[in-house]
Amino acid sequence: MRFERFEMFKVFVRFLGFVVLAIGISAPALAHHSAAGIDRSKTVTLIGTVKQFGWQNPHSWMEVEVPNESGVVTTWKVEMTSPAFLIRAGWKSTTVKPGDKVTVKVFPLRDGDPGGLFQSVTLADGSTLTERAAAPRPTP
Amino acid sequence: MKFAAAVTLACAMAVGGLSAQDLGVLAPANLTKPRPKPPIDITGTWFIDLGFPGSWRFGPPYPKLTPDAQKHFDASRKAQAEGKVYRDDIGQCWPAGVPLIMTRVWSISMVQLPTVVYMISGFMNSLRVINIDGRPHTDPDLVVRTFNGDSVGRFEGDALVIDTVGFVDHHHWIDSGIPASDALHIVERARLVDGGKKMQIEYTMTDPKSWEGEWKVTKQWNRVDARDMEIAEVECLPDLNSHIPSTQSKENVR
Repeated sequence: MRFERFEMFKVFVRFLGFVVLAIGISAPALAHHSAAGIDRSKTVTLIGTVKQFGWQNPHSWMEVEVPNESGVVTTWKVEMTSPAFLIRAGWKSTTVKPGDKVTVKVFPLRDGDPGGLFQSVTLADGSTLTERAAAPRPTP
Repeated sequence: MKFAAAVTLACAMAVGGLSAQDLGVLAPANLTKPRPKPPIDITGTWFIDLGFPGSWRFGPPYPKLTPDAQKHFDASRKAQAEGKVYRDDIGQCWPAGVPLIMTRVWSISMVQLPTVVYMISGFMNSLRVINIDGRPHTDPDLVVRTFNGDSVGRFEGDALVIDTVGFVDHHHWIDSGIPASDALHIVERARLVDGGKKMQIEYTMTDPKSWEGEWKVTKQWNRVDARDMEIAEVECLPDLNSHIPSTQSKENVR
């Protein structure tokens, strides 16, 4: 019993360590270059179709074609974090593909151009992915 | 053992015709040369400790800047207040350079050999070479100036002391708006703490073209052993940047 408690304590400490690491890493993970041109006080929801998805270092990215009420399509450029962090958040290189119907939330550019910083994507099957790790991983 | 190494060194020099000071850091005769055991080995993968005071930035506080540097600093603060980016050279694929490359939010792999320490940042695979085989700095008339500089190291007590000069004088910043010049001189005292789980580096930086006196700051790194914290190939590419909106914003102050 005492051993079990100790094991549970160890698991808790590992979890705590992971949370601290996850928070510490994910918050500024996009800040290797300044993102001051991003307006973090606003969220824009893009309902459209994936045009391209780049699974690349140091940043992944997505282009989403978004039609307006008149049917005119605008291509939005969405900046994402690196594949290493996306993998921790449950992503694969095949998670989104050209032609996929998606709903993407972004922090928009201040200058009004159709681009922004990724917050989340909701896929056609209803599942939602962000850039943050969903669950603690065991310490190797 | 020392005798064997000395013989190896002598033979290598005789066969290769190289004098001891001409041997490269990876030459077997240099690697096996008898040396005192280093007090620390910083080999490992390290990640900046964002919870340590100052996180990844080197200020505030900042030293008293020269008038030219102050102009850049003021312009940077003005841009920041307006939600703009000042001279985001890193976003345009210019190297971060020392010291800023050390605190990017990416892992750094460090490999310590008897003659050299290699530091490879996961960010743009930026390479630092720190020669610890006793050689002096490269002749100032011969040095190729770089963003990471010309580094030599030595052990003092429980610290690896790294002395770096030979920096470029353009597109090289410390934090935002403080220019690093070709007069920049950095001394880093690296120590392992917490049983080797953490590493602290005390920075002493002088650059009479940009600030007065010594700028001292200490940063801390955590050892990260997980496989997914290893470094990988990372490059800044023009076609990639065209997909990264924050590097293309018209609001950026060039």
